[in-house]
Amino acid sequence: MEVRKHQKVTSRNAVFADKITTRIWQERPSESNPYIAAGNCCHGYDLIELMQQKSYVDMFYLLFRGNLPSSDERQLLEQLMVGFINPGPRHPATRAAMNAGVGKSDPQNILPISLTIMGGEHLGAGAVEGAMRFMRKHRKENPADTAESMLTERVEQRPKEGDWHIAPGFGSHFGGVDLMPSKLAAVLAKLPGSGSMLDWGTRFSSALNKEGMGWLTVGVAAAVFADLGFHPRYGAGLFQLLSAPGLLAHGMEQANKPITAMPFLSDKAYVIDYE
Amino acid sequence: MSSIMNKPDTLLWDQQRNKIVSKKGGWFVGDGVYCHGYDMMDELVGKVSYMQVVMLNVTGKLPARHVADWFEAAHICLSWPDSRIWCNHIGALGGTMRASALASTVAGVLATDSRAYGVKPLKEGVVFIQSAVAALESGLSVEEIVLNECEKHGGKPYIMGYARPIAKGDERVPTMELVAKELGFPVGEHLKLAYEIDRELLARFNEGMNINGYMSAFLSDQHFTSEEVYRICTMLVASGVSACYVDMRDRPAETFLPLRCDDIDYQGKPHRTL
Repeated sequence: MEVRKHQKVTSRNAVFADKITTRIWQERPSESNPYIAAGNCCHGYDLIELMQQKSYVDMFYLLFRGNLPSSDERQLLEQLMVGFINPGPRHPATRAAMNAGVGKSDPQNILPISLTIMGGEHLGAGAVEGAMRFMRKHRKENPADTAESMLTERVEQRPKEGDWHIAPGFGSHFGGVDLMPSKLAAVLAKLPGSGSMLDWGTRFSSALNKEGMGWLTVGVAAAVFADLGFHPRYGAGLFQLLSAPGLLAHGMEQANKPITAMPFLSDKAYVIDYE
Repeated sequence: MSSIMNKPDTLLWDQQRNKIVSKKGGWFVGDGVYCHGYDMMDELVGKVSYMQVVMLNVTGKLPARHVADWFEAAHICLSWPDSRIWCNHIGALGGTMRASALASTVAGVLATDSRAYGVKPLKEGVVFIQSAVAALESGLSVEEIVLNECEKHGGKPYIMGYARPIAKGDERVPTMELVAKELGFPVGEHLKLAYEIDRELLARFNEGMNINGYMSAFLSDQHFTSEEVYRICTMLVASGVSACYVDMRDRPAETFLPLRCDDIDYQGKPHRTL
C-alpha cells in the first residue's frame, strides 16, 4: 500500500473574540465586588422599572426584539402564548414529561427531557423554522393557487400510510384536518396585530381542507412569529418556550403519583415482530 | 367537501392503540430478554462487546467484532477531555453549576447535533463521499468532483470531511488509519477516492482530509448508510464531556471561567427610561 504523507497539524491562528458581546443585557458591577451586579438593564431599560411597569409579555417581546411591543403586538403575542401554553396530555412531548414525572426522574430534568422531544420535526419545534420560511417564500402568491399546484405536483409524495404534511406547518393530523389550530388561527387573525402571514396561511389552509389537510399547530405559531417580526431561526426555541408551562405542569402532576399511575403494557400487549 | 374530510381513515392509529409491536426486542417477565433475535442474557452479555450491541440495536445486525472495535477506537479518538471544545464546555459549565453528571453529559452530547462540529456533520460526510464515488463511476474525474463541490461554496474548499476549523491537518486520521490497519481492514473504493480528493485539495488549497472525511469514507467502504453512522455515533463525545464535568464538579462552584460584570462587552442600547 502506498505510504500516505499526512499534513502536519498546525494552528490556523484563528482570531477568537476576547470577550463575550451582547446587545441584550447589561450588568452594572457593584463597587465592592466586580462579580456582583448592582443593576441590570434589558436593551437599555432598568430591570426593576420593567418589573414594576411592564407585563411578562412586554418583557418577553423586548428580550427578543429589542424594543417594547405596541399594544397590538402585545395582544397578539399574549393570545398566542395562552393558546399554545399546553400541547395537551396526548402530545409526545407531554407524554415524555409525564413519563419522567411518574418515573421519579429529578424534577429539574422534566422540562429539558420534554423540551428535547418537543424539538422534533413532527408537530414540534423542529418544524417551525421551515414553516416560517415556507410562508415567507410564498407570501406573494395566491394561496389557493399555491395549494392547488402543490396538491398536483406533490401528489406522488403523499405517504402510503400516516399523515401527509404537504408543506411545513400544514397537513393532516391523524388522517384528518386538525380543528384546534384552525380555531386558534381564526381568533388570532381577527386581532389588529395579526399580519399578512397569518392571513396567507389561513387561506392556504382553507384550500387544503378538501383534501383532509389544513393548519397544523406549528404552522399557526410560525405565522404569528413571522407576523411579529421574528427571524425564522428563532421559531424553534420560541415554540418550545410557549409550550414549556404545559409540559412541566403535566410532568409534575404525575411526579407525585406512584409509578403504577400510568400504563405499563402487559406482556400480552407487547409483541416482538422482527419482520 | 370530499370523503377524506368527512370520514378520516384512522385505521393506522387504531391498530396501534394499547399495544406495542417491536422490531427490536423486549423483556418478558420470567421468560427472558430479547434483542434482535438474541437472548441477551445467554448470547450477548459477556460474549460480545458493548459497541457490537450498540451497532446491533441501530442496524439490526450483529457486526463482526473488529468492526465494533474500530468504532470503539473512533469514540476514543473523537472525544477529548478539553473543556474549550464546545460540547465539553457545556459539561464543565454543568459541573461548576452543580448540575448532575448525567444531565451535564447529555447536554454536552446534545450540543453535537450541530451544523459546525460533532456527530451531525458525519451524515453529510458520508453522503458526500458516497455521491462522489457515484460521480466517479459516472465518468467525472477527481478534479471535476472537487471543483464542482467547491463551486457550491464560491470556489472555496468547503467540502464536508476536508479542511478543519482552528487547525490544519488532523492528527486523528493517521491514528485511525493505524487502528484500521491493525484490525485488518483494506482500503476500499470510498477511502481510495477520499485520498485522491485529499491530494487534490492539498495541491490546490493546502487543505486536507479531516477525521470526518476519513471516517465517512472508511464506513462507506463497510457499507454503512449516513443515517446508520449518525445513529451509532450518538454518544461519540460523551466521555470527554463527562471528564470536563467531573473536573469542574470537584472544585468550588462557579470557578470555571468566572466572569466579572465587565467581562461582558455590552454593545446594546444605552440606558433609557420607560
